[in-house]
Amino acid sequence: MNSHIDYLDEPLQKALLQIIECLKSSYAVSKQTLALLLLQEDPYVETLVQKEEGEAYVKIKELVQKTAAGYSEPLRFVITMNRQKAVDALVSQSVSSPKRSSLKISNFLSQLMIHPLTGYPIVALILYYGLYQFVGVFGSGTLVDFIETTIFENHINPWITSLVQGLLPWKVIQDLFVGEYGVFTLGVRYAMAIVLPIVGTFFIAFSMIEDSGYLPRLALLLDRSFKKIGLNGRAVIPMVLGLGCDTMATMVTRILETKREKVIATLLLALAIPCSAQLGLILALLSPVPSALFLWGGVVIGEFFLIGYLTAKLLPGRQPQFFMELPPLRLPLFSNVMSKTLSRIQWYFMEVLPLFVIASVLIWAGQLTGLFGWIIELLKPLVSALGLPAEAAIIILFGFFRRDYGAAGLFDLQSKNLLTHNQLAIAAITLTLFLPCVAQFLIMKKERGLQTTLLMSAFIFAMAFGTGFLLNLGFNIFGVIL
Amino acid sequence: MTKIALVGSPNVGKSALFNQLTKLYVSVSNYPGTTVSLARGTMTIQEKLYEVIDTPGMYSLLPITDEERVSRKIIFEGNLHAMIHVVDAKNLERMLPLTFQLREVGLPLILALNMSDEAEKSGIEIQAPILEKYLRLPVIKTVSTQGVGMRLLKEKIYEFAH
Repeated sequence: MNSHIDYLDEPLQKALLQIIECLKSSYAVSKQTLALLLLQEDPYVETLVQKEEGEAYVKIKELVQKTAAGYSEPLRFVITMNRQKAVDALVSQSVSSPKRSSLKISNFLSQLMIHPLTGYPIVALILYYGLYQFVGVFGSGTLVDFIETTIFENHINPWITSLVQGLLPWKVIQDLFVGEYGVFTLGVRYAMAIVLPIVGTFFIAFSMIEDSGYLPRLALLLDRSFKKIGLNGRAVIPMVLGLGCDTMATMVTRILETKREKVIATLLLALAIPCSAQLGLILALLSPVPSALFLWGGVVIGEFFLIGYLTAKLLPGRQPQFFMELPPLRLPLFSNVMSKTLSRIQWYFMEVLPLFVIASVLIWAGQLTGLFGWIIELLKPLVSALGLPAEAAIIILFGFFRRDYGAAGLFDLQSKNLLTHNQLAIAAITLTLFLPCVAQFLIMKKERGLQTTLLMSAFIFAMAFGTGFLLNLGFNIFGVIL
Repeated sequence: MTKIALVGSPNVGKSALFNQLTKLYVSVSNYPGTTVSLARGTMTIQEKLYEVIDTPGMYSLLPITDEERVSRKIIFEGNLHAMIHVVDAKNLERMLPLTFQLREVGLPLILALNMSDEAEKSGIEIQAPILEKYLRLPVIKTVSTQGVGMRLLKEKIYEFAH
């Protein structure tokens, strides 16, 4: 199974053989592969060979430099060209392709998506129908109403409540399950009746967009605006994925080339990209108040670009070229969309339901011991600095656990008519800018290190509350009423 | 256990192929970069157990990004018994440079011409025997989203590494 390299220019071929001669140790991969990578000055192989060969490595290095001196272009470029020539010869023998005419429609569509003049209206259409109408109006409006009111409030809640009251005669224990913050009435209800329909519809819309091949085209479209904040279009993928789940998206920052880009992307994900549960809930909350919705959008997008711009200035470095393959546009495969949606919902639930239940238990215990009241008392100054009612302290507390849990709490407050439009906007904006959840914090720590993560968290905390505070101040000074 | 790795450029269907072979589920999307870390599963061919490894996409053996480094590391240090190079059949002139590099490594290699349905639909005809003869490795046409070519692929895997 030995395929010898036979497509290189003569000087390269000769150097290759000489380097192979120098490699005396035994390696897991062939010596010709190592020699070829050495010619291309690959740091990983250089370290490996230097360790194995010791003194002899100097001779290899000399050979590489001597060969490189004979070419005007870098060796990795020459080698790539040599190889491509051999590939092209092989392809011309074995592949026959016609003039592409059947791809006309999808090519035309693709062009429309990439061109700024038509591309942005298409983004707007997708946002309006895919997100606003399907997730915001249908998911968090119609579906939540149905599951929450018809199923839970009319059928399940009374049944569970009477069951628990019958089985457990002690009020304290009853409260644990069916009280105001009960495991069932709060934890399970939040998860099943509020979060599930929103996250479910979002994941369906999102999986379809993913599989259609639209995202790389969006990346190309946004490349120019992203360049201004020190990222290239490639970063669009983690950013858009962040709208699904910021934790997953933080892992996907691995596709970015430089450390600088990764740091900027991680920060922006944690600060200004709301995840699906949050986005759906906020859309549902704010859609009856368009002015608040626009303010929320403006502030969050504004901070995204502002902070991106400033961090890019602070962290100077080279900006990598944008390069991404454009996959063909495809009609999403129903089975793939469904299995992907299901696996995402399942994954989300495994993570979220236990946390919701634990939060309920903690709050119950906190109430019992008076700790809960004490923490809320402690948070009150913070909450009133944002111009929010005392009840919102609970939401802030929830928000520490997860942004989406906090958003669900906000949803609850709103449906009880406890918030003015101004307060609603401030609460939604502050919560969006918050660090999303414990899981994301842990992934950030894993990908970026503890120190960077703590710095980012402190910054995000200050940004979130600072923005809320300033907005409230602005509202009061200028007498704005949304 | 005999280890087989699926390698190839981003967005050619490695993860869909992985799902087909192992009957597990990893997320599959139509953009490059869905897989950023290794996924492992097992499959049985004629009562022999194999470990199958799905790798993040790579353009060449010279990595630029972290996820490409992950893939190269598994090729260099993963004690693999064989590799399957998954390629987009519509775009062989961009795909084969990596095939050249992979076959130079010295591990048994199978070339899977994936998305061969899309290639056929757009009128691209590929003479697999010519590729086989020149590259000296088995070439199999597959459609990983629908399971086309899986039986043949498994036969070759068994032949190569058992």
